[in-house]
Amino acid sequence: MLDECAKIRIDVLRMVFASREGHLPSAFSIVETLYAVYANKHEHDVFFLSKGHAGAALFATLAHFGILEKQELLSYCAYDSRLGGHPHRTVPGVMNSSGSLWHGFPVAAGYAFSRKIKHEPGEVFCLIGDGESNEGTIWETAMYAEQLHLSNFVCIIDKNNSQVRAMTSIHLPAKFESFGWEVREVDGHSVEELKRVLFEPHEKPLCVIANTKKGKGVRELEENFMAWHHKAPGADEYEKFRAEILSQSDSNAL
Amino acid sequence: MRKQFAQTMLEVGEDPRLVVLLGDLSHFLLRDFEAAHKDRFYNLGIAEQSMMSIAAGLAMNGLFPVVHSIAPFITERCFEQIKDDLCYQKLGVNIVSIGSAFDYAALGCTHHCYDDIAILRALPGMQIVYPAAPHEFDTLFKETYANGMPTYFRLPEHVHEIPTHPRFGEVEMLHKGGDVTVAVSGPQLQNAFEAVKEIENTYSCDLIYCTTIKPLSEKARQTLRESVKKTGRLVTVEEHSVIGGIGDEIARVCDNIRFVHERMGIHDRFLTNYGTYAEHCRDNDLTKEGVIHSVHEICTRNI
Repeated sequence: MLDECAKIRIDVLRMVFASREGHLPSAFSIVETLYAVYANKHEHDVFFLSKGHAGAALFATLAHFGILEKQELLSYCAYDSRLGGHPHRTVPGVMNSSGSLWHGFPVAAGYAFSRKIKHEPGEVFCLIGDGESNEGTIWETAMYAEQLHLSNFVCIIDKNNSQVRAMTSIHLPAKFESFGWEVREVDGHSVEELKRVLFEPHEKPLCVIANTKKGKGVRELEENFMAWHHKAPGADEYEKFRAEILSQSDSNAL
Repeated sequence: MRKQFAQTMLEVGEDPRLVVLLGDLSHFLLRDFEAAHKDRFYNLGIAEQSMMSIAAGLAMNGLFPVVHSIAPFITERCFEQIKDDLCYQKLGVNIVSIGSAFDYAALGCTHHCYDDIAILRALPGMQIVYPAAPHEFDTLFKETYANGMPTYFRLPEHVHEIPTHPRFGEVEMLHKGGDVTVAVSGPQLQNAFEAVKEIENTYSCDLIYCTTIKPLSEKARQTLRESVKKTGRLVTVEEHSVIGGIGDEIARVCDNIRFVHERMGIHDRFLTNYGTYAEHCRDNDLTKEGVIHSVHEICTRNI
């Protein structure tokens, strides 16, 4: 049986292969997180993707849950498509336009804040990258979230360690704790674990550190994620990667 | 001007969708608003970029945020936030600055801001409003704050005392003539108005006052085009760089007309002199005499 996350990865792979565009390893590291959010979120919960370069995974997930037509995924990055290399909020199910790192997180915090002001229910989830946490607005917003009492706000950090080549984002749990957040750390490729930590009650703003592998699901992408950061596979590679995702799915169903 | 800002916020604050965010200034000024609407008044400290994005998030959920700080910190520093989070996403955040141009003369160039109009003009969907008398801010804010578009209100420290009737998107013809078109924004209206009156027996001027920089209505464009077509001579006056300010905007509106143009403003330099507002006006020829000189110069130029 093909598991749900493998289906999403296959769609992402096909989108990137067909369009010659997108960020495959970054998209693959967040598939389980997206699946856990969309499979379990409640009526008023909303999700913001701040690391927009992983947008192909968001589109594939939205299609998986029927928010977008599957057919539309084939238009990814085409001229006049709604689905660009970074998501725009004109797409159904997309809350925010992203691409430039450091914007989505404070915008999502503002949305959570608006709900406090308007006394509206629901959680506001925002997924950022660990590399993105180099940016100053992440920490300004972390400060705001505590002081504005945004107990309806959940920051998910996709800790795929892509920043090993530059400024590594270290000590993230201690940093968020010192900013007044509740911190939970999980295996970011375990849907069950993610579900548990994301949806358990919390008094303070919640930071979930999802430990992930960039390129998860395809060994070549995992091992050479720097080379694959913004690169599309050729025909042979596409078939090989696809077969690998399918074979793993068979032996390792959720 | 600041008092009017406080008064207008208090009045418009009756709208439960208005939320005021401060960049750690004017806290005392807005104390009446705070008392009346405590749950919609937040001093978010000195983190302007995140404050701007937070405001975008508020607007996304149907609120009408007002973000307030000193001009360079709320425009230049937040340029990418205004581009990506406000204009690109079409979110109606109201930005209200004080301390534009050289209002904070003595504090030096980090606290000056004479390129705010230039940079924001280039952003699609951005509305730019430049009131220079209390009633103008009151009218223009009430007209636009809830129209769903990002809007920049540039509030000067100094005001003019000319009776005006601002309407968003429109320009106002305050004097009719045939020799020169004088177009002005901001508190320099005072100098331009007095200059035009003083020389009316020598040079007759159309005096056009602009409280909206962008967008200009078709009627406003028509007024500008007809005047410049008639006179063939344009003098623009602004407390802003001559690169990208109202002079450029009006020249763009008139780009299919033949005319000569005298741009009064700050000529591509940092004003490193400290001192006072009045001294900077004098140093940049932003005076009644300066306007008279420019009109005379353009009228006696061989064209």
